[in-house]
Amino acid sequence: MPFPDVKLANRPLHFLYLCDCSGSMAASGKMQALNQAIRQSLPGMAAVARDNPEARVLVRAVSFADHAAWHIERPTPVDHLEWRDLQAGGLTAMGEALRLVAAALQTPPMEVRALPPVLVLISDGQPTDDFAGGLEALLRLPWGQKAVRLAIALGHDADLEVLQRFIGGEPEAEAGRSPRRPLQASNATSLAQYIQWASTAVVGAASMPASRVAETPLGPPAGNIPLPDLPPTVLDPTDDVGPLVW
Amino acid sequence: MNWILPEGVSLGFEGLSTPLRIVRGLGGGTQGQVYEVDLEGERLALKWYLPACIARDPALERRLGESIRATAPSEDFLWPIALLRPSPASRPLIRLREESFGYLMPLRPASFVGAGEHAAGRLTIGLREVLRACFFLADAFHALHLAGLCYKDVSLGNLFLEPGSGRILICDNDNVAVDGSGQGAVLGTPGFMAPEVLLGQARPGADSDLFSLAVLLFRLLTRHDPLKGQMELAIRCLDEPARRRLYGEDPVFIFDPVDFRNRPDPIEHAAALITWPIYPRPLQALFEQTFCRGLKQPSRRTLTGQWKQELARTLDLRVLCGGCGQENFQTTGASQLCWSCGTPLAEGITLILPRGTVLAAPDNELHPHHFDPLAGEDLRRPIGRVVAHPRDARRLGLHNLSAEAWSAERADGRAVRVEPGASCSLAGVTRIETSAGTVAVQSRSGPGPAA
Repeated sequence: MPFPDVKLANRPLHFLYLCDCSGSMAASGKMQALNQAIRQSLPGMAAVARDNPEARVLVRAVSFADHAAWHIERPTPVDHLEWRDLQAGGLTAMGEALRLVAAALQTPPMEVRALPPVLVLISDGQPTDDFAGGLEALLRLPWGQKAVRLAIALGHDADLEVLQRFIGGEPEAEAGRSPRRPLQASNATSLAQYIQWASTAVVGAASMPASRVAETPLGPPAGNIPLPDLPPTVLDPTDDVGPLVW
Repeated sequence: MNWILPEGVSLGFEGLSTPLRIVRGLGGGTQGQVYEVDLEGERLALKWYLPACIARDPALERRLGESIRATAPSEDFLWPIALLRPSPASRPLIRLREESFGYLMPLRPASFVGAGEHAAGRLTIGLREVLRACFFLADAFHALHLAGLCYKDVSLGNLFLEPGSGRILICDNDNVAVDGSGQGAVLGTPGFMAPEVLLGQARPGADSDLFSLAVLLFRLLTRHDPLKGQMELAIRCLDEPARRRLYGEDPVFIFDPVDFRNRPDPIEHAAALITWPIYPRPLQALFEQTFCRGLKQPSRRTLTGQWKQELARTLDLRVLCGGCGQENFQTTGASQLCWSCGTPLAEGITLILPRGTVLAAPDNELHPHHFDPLAGEDLRRPIGRVVAHPRDARRLGLHNLSAEAWSAERADGRAVRVEPGASCSLAGVTRIETSAGTVAVQSRSGPGPAA
C-alpha cells in the first residue's frame, strides 16, 4: 500500500530577472546572448526547483529601456516557463524597473510567508532615470531588504557603482570575485555561467539550506543567505579564436 | 554544465595502471562534479573536486586516504575506493588551472532514487519499505559509529532509496572522520544539524550524527520536519537568522509532550498530523527522547541500536486493514482502528518466537534475531516470509526461505514437512519447528480471517 498521500509543506521562492533592454544591448549580440543564457539556464533551474521540495520556485521578469515593463508578469513555476526573446532599443529606465519590482514585493500581492526573494539585475550601461528613488522604494520594503540581490555587468560600460548600490554594502575582506560584487561578464560564455549560477546555485541556497563548512560564518551572516561559491573558471577547450568580447 | 573532465576521453591517473574512460558527467554541485567512468569494463563513479572546495578543506585528502584504508562499514555506503590525481600526461586535459583531485566510488544503480523524491511526495513507496529504509539507515550508522567513525553531514541530499525494497545507499562519504578527531571543515546542513553544532558550541561527531539521523528518520516516516510547527508559521522570511532560531536557539519538537508552543498547523503541516499517529508509541518515544531532552543533552539521544530494535519491532507489528488494505501497526491490548479508513483492525494470526512476536501479514518476515539472543537485528537474511495463498488472499502461509526443512505441527497432532522454498498454511497449524527455533502459531480471537 502506498505511503499516505501527503507532501512536505513548502514556501514560495520568487525569482525576478531585471533585464536591461536599452539600445546598447543590440550591439555585439548582447541581447541575443542574454536571451540564450536565460533560455539555456531553465532546465537546470527546473531541476533545482524539483530537488527542493521545501520551495515553490516562481519566476518573473522585468525589462527596462525607455520605460520598465513586465516581460513575465505572473509568477510562473519554472517548468511552465517559456522565455520569449527580449528586444533591445531605448534608454535605461532602471529606477522605474526597481519601482515595478518594489510594487510586486509589497504584501499583498506578496505572500505573508515566503523564502527570501532572489533579484538578478543585468545591465550594460547607466541608468537614465531616477535610480536612487527606485532603489529607495525597493529597500523600504521588508521583502526588498530580505531579497538576495545579485547584479551582472555586461561589458565595460556597465555602471559598477550603481550595481553595487543595488547589491548593498561591498565585502571588505574578500579580494577578487565575490557574489556580493557585480559579476562582470565580458563575453557570452561568462554571462551564461553567471545566469546558470544565479538560477541554480543561488536558488538552491535560498530555498534549502546547503551543507555548511566551518568557514561559512554561522554567527550573524554577511547576508541573510550564505551565497554559494561562484562558478569555477573552467578552461574552454574550444577556445581557439576567443569569444566575442564586449 | 561546464564539465571539468573531458567526456568520452580516457585519462591516466597516478596509481592506476590502466587509464580511466570518462563516460559522461552525471551532475555537479558547489563541491565538485560526478562522472560515470569505465575502468577495464567496470562502471564506477568519479567525484572531482572544485579548487575552492579543496582550498577550504585542507584535511580532505588525508581524510579520504584514511577512509579508503578503513574500507566501508557496510554495503550501504558508496564508499571511496581510490584517490585519484591526474598523471602528468592527463594534467593538460583537465580544464582547471589549479591542481585538483578526486576519488573513485561505486556507481549508484538506477533503481535507487534520491530521498528528496520521497519527501516531495513524488515516490510510490509503501510504509513497509519506508520503515525498512529507516532500519537500514540506522543499521548503516550503527556500523559506522561502531567503527569509531562519524558522518557529520546527514541530510536528505545524501541518501538514496530503492522504493521496491526499501534498500538504501549513502553517498558523499568524504566528510567521514574518526569521531572526536575534529578534522574537516563540514558542519552539517541546517535543519539536520544538531543545535549545539549550529550554534557553534560543538564540532560535529557521533552525538550530533544521532540528532541528524533522528531528523532524517522523522522526515522519512512523516514527510515533515520535526521542528517546523506553529513557530515556523510565525516566521515571515525563512532565511538564515530565522533557521538559526528555529533549529538552534529555541528548537521545540512539534510533538513535545509538555511544550505545546510548536504544534503542527492543521493546514500547513497536515503531513505530520496524518502520519505521526500511524506509528506505535514506543517508536514515537524514541523521537521524543532525541527531540525533547536530547535537544540540549547530546548524550541522551536515541542510539543507533535502539532505533534498529524499535524499527524492526514496528515492522513485526505490520498488519493490513480488512477494509481498505492499508498498512497499520497493531499494538496489543486496546482495539485499534485503521488510520486510513477507520475500520476496526481484525485480530489475526500471531507468530510467537523465542525473541519476539510477528503478526501474520503478507511480506512480514522472520529473521535470525527473532530466535538467537546473540544475533543483532538484521533484515538482510530472512528465514521465513508470510505469504498470501495465490488463490485466496485471506489464507496466509509461511514461506520457508531457509536452507533446511521445517516441521509444522497441526492441531490434530500430525506433523507436515515443509521443504526449503515451500510454504505451509498457517491455518490449523499450532507450531513450526525450524532449524533456528520454534514458531508458535496463535490465532487470536475476534472477527479475523478464518484461521
